[in-house]
Amino acid sequence: MFRIIRNANFDFMRHRKVLLAVSLVLVLVSAGVLFGVGLNKGIEFTGGTQLQYKFAEKPDVGAIRQSLTDAGLSGQQVTTIGDADANEVVIRLASAGDTDADENQAKAALAALAKQFGVEGDGSSDLNVIDSSSLAGRLAGVAGGAVQAQALADAILEKRTEIAIFSSFDELGAVTGMTEAVLGVLQDDMTIGPFSQRKRSYVGPAVGRELINKTLAAVVGSLIGMLLYIWIRFQLQWGFAAVVALTHDALITLGLFALFKQEMSLAVVAAFLTLVGYSVNDTVVVFDRIRENLRNRGSESVKDTINRSINQTLSRTLITSGLTWIVVLALFVFGGAPLKPFAFVLSVGVVVGTYSSIFVASPFLVLWSEFLAKRRGSTATKVPVRGNAG
Amino acid sequence: MNSNPLLWKFLLIGAVIAGAIFAGYPPEDKINLGLDLQGGLHILYKVDTASAVKFEMDNRVTSFGQALKKEGLAGTPVPDVAAGTIELRGTDPARETEIKKLIDDYVGRWDSEKTGPGSWRFTIPSRYRAEIEREAVTSSIETMRNRIDALGVSEPVIAKQGRSGDRILVQLPGVQDSAKLRDILKEPALLRWKEMTYPPGSNAYQPQPTREAVAALFGGVIPDDTELFEQERIGPDGAAASIWWPLKRVTTVAGKDLRNVYRSADEWQDPVVAFDLHPEAASRFESATRANVGKIMAIVLNDKVISAPVIESVIRNSGIIRGQFTIETADELVLKLRSGAIPAEISVEEEWAVGPSLGRDSVKAGVTAMLVSFAGVMLFMLVYYRLSGINAVIALVLNVLLVFGILAALPWLFSGARATLTLPGIAGLILTIGMAVDSNVLIFERIREELAQGKTLASAVEQGFGKALSTILDCNVTTLVAAFFLFSYGTGPVKGFAVTLTIGLLASLFTAVFVSRQLFELVLRVRSDAETLSI
Repeated sequence: MFRIIRNANFDFMRHRKVLLAVSLVLVLVSAGVLFGVGLNKGIEFTGGTQLQYKFAEKPDVGAIRQSLTDAGLSGQQVTTIGDADANEVVIRLASAGDTDADENQAKAALAALAKQFGVEGDGSSDLNVIDSSSLAGRLAGVAGGAVQAQALADAILEKRTEIAIFSSFDELGAVTGMTEAVLGVLQDDMTIGPFSQRKRSYVGPAVGRELINKTLAAVVGSLIGMLLYIWIRFQLQWGFAAVVALTHDALITLGLFALFKQEMSLAVVAAFLTLVGYSVNDTVVVFDRIRENLRNRGSESVKDTINRSINQTLSRTLITSGLTWIVVLALFVFGGAPLKPFAFVLSVGVVVGTYSSIFVASPFLVLWSEFLAKRRGSTATKVPVRGNAG
Repeated sequence: MNSNPLLWKFLLIGAVIAGAIFAGYPPEDKINLGLDLQGGLHILYKVDTASAVKFEMDNRVTSFGQALKKEGLAGTPVPDVAAGTIELRGTDPARETEIKKLIDDYVGRWDSEKTGPGSWRFTIPSRYRAEIEREAVTSSIETMRNRIDALGVSEPVIAKQGRSGDRILVQLPGVQDSAKLRDILKEPALLRWKEMTYPPGSNAYQPQPTREAVAALFGGVIPDDTELFEQERIGPDGAAASIWWPLKRVTTVAGKDLRNVYRSADEWQDPVVAFDLHPEAASRFESATRANVGKIMAIVLNDKVISAPVIESVIRNSGIIRGQFTIETADELVLKLRSGAIPAEISVEEEWAVGPSLGRDSVKAGVTAMLVSFAGVMLFMLVYYRLSGINAVIALVLNVLLVFGILAALPWLFSGARATLTLPGIAGLILTIGMAVDSNVLIFERIREELAQGKTLASAVEQGFGKALSTILDCNVTTLVAAFFLFSYGTGPVKGFAVTLTIGLLASLFTAVFVSRQLFELVLRVRSDAETLSI
């Protein structure tokens, strides 16, 4: 039989106070980072405009920043997104207060880019901007009929969808139905612009505030939901231990999220709520076994029972966490730029969540039982269990 | 049937698989890609329902006031929009019966309260208010649909959204360069003709550059029945400048009174917008213009004055609007007016346009991530649990199949619509792979433990499944609690994530617990003399 760990018998609870202290320090450091560095909140929370462009050649981010500043756009942020050779840039503009002003800002930003990169005209003859029917109109004379022209235009735009941006006319040669004559006309009549829009988003200023409130409500609501569920299935004490562990997971992940300047968005909140579920899920597997063992522990101390239970579930904990980690890591590496922050939260959270099930939630249970025993003046530790006086 | 329960169980499994395939195959026909994956324009509007109530109150006051005037009864109704009341003061107490009849006709559904001789206060009942607000949203949707249809966009989504019921979602697949479209949708095209309020003791008005300057003409106090409206003009020096007009709150004729609108040209061949009125509105317009010959009547579009002509003669059922139009802007106004007015002010809350290339990249990346994680999980299960790993892999493949089937079937069952897969939905699918296999691992580990304690194969399998079940349920419930809060919190795409995750977990209960168990039973039956299990 292939085993990750054979007959595990580690004394996880030996350094429980040190481990809890370390976790507390980590949580405090995370909180410090959170306040010191701050969260990189996306426009869903702050309101504003976000423009994403793909360039044919590697763009100079500093120069873009400069030309936006020259155009009078203050409070803008320019960053690259995706792989280094993706040549993609995200421009974020803070909300100017109302929808019309925000729209003017976006127009000014586009105009500044056009000026910087020497784009002529209004883009109506730019092969990287033109839409299907306009392109078909231009090809009607040379393609041998309106139907053929439309088919050819669609094929050209399909190619554009495939590669995101044309950087030279040579790339058009492989398009189905392309002829020398058509290529000639395109080269004479049209230009290939240096960039094309990948995405444009706008969120009104009032929406963000509402969203922050809703987010808090959802997070607090799910915490209470978890507490209640574990209270019902186990006991209140267990519920507290689980909530302490998941707060630990969420805060440390949030701290790292802030440290790595990942962008906070709706999807990231979804990832955090999933993490809350996952963290408790992982804790419950350990708790489940602790409860089972507490029911027939004889004279064993709570500490030893918990130790035994963690050892028994250790290989399962490592395997499922490992498998989930493979999955979220694959999402982080291969899932594309839009899902990166989402996958970041889960990639970090799964590791921290697994750690906390063993090194936070369980020691918390032990310490509590010892604290209660001390207060009773007894050496016999116990933890209440539903349906049975553990 | 008792003679071979396993056969029946496998028939049930076969039926579920067939159902899932029937519902979800071929996926490109059964499941739509969300706008974030296929590219398109997404706009979320917020309807200012309070403005619809204001508009309704203004209308009510207008028609009520005109009726009072026509009957020669003194007194004008004055609205207080914030309080939701209309005050009627100073009518002749001797003619109360006649007034009461008009009250019945015009504000019959309002709560009325007599505040003194010849004076009343009417309050809008909350049920009526709610009705107006609801109506504002539904007719806004109707109007938007008309305008978008006129532009020939294929498969648009125009629907009410959100719990408060005052958001409208517009989704236009494939639309990218959308400036014109956005303009047409964004502008509410609230067109109103309003009479001027002249400063006391005067029959002339010079437009003033500021609100304060207008107020000064009125001795510092703008009368109750008057509101100030701005007009933007290009001054002689080419710079934009504002001028202000004091206009009656009541609207004489509004966009919805138009029977027909079209672009025309005036005597200098400049584009104008020409209109015909409905007969009922025509008689109102006629009496208003008769009473105001030589005076100004302003035309207000979306709270901005677009022209303020002097009434030269009585106008009955048709006329023109001059507003420094170009052919294009005139056509746009005609389109907006033709498709009906949006009866409330509307603002953009959120708008995004995703290019088709970005959507394509997201799909590719999502599929890659899914294949890699699937392969990783599969490889591990086969290496670690050997032949039993095959069992888990079958369960996992079945799980993905079921999720697709249920995803496709759900919206169809509820509303006959096609399912939509968004980018967070793909993330949810991928995550499901990791979480669904969790149950298999719990069970397998438990079986290994039971075997290690020297139990027979059959009893180890039975105990393994039995003991793991309560843990599996506890685990899934916690994740489902989180998914529930996600669902109630999220807007569109995040909801998609919560839905796929929930379906995935529920499906895993069937695949990892039930199907997997039957596979073990099958193995045990075929190799009834076996003493070891490859796990």
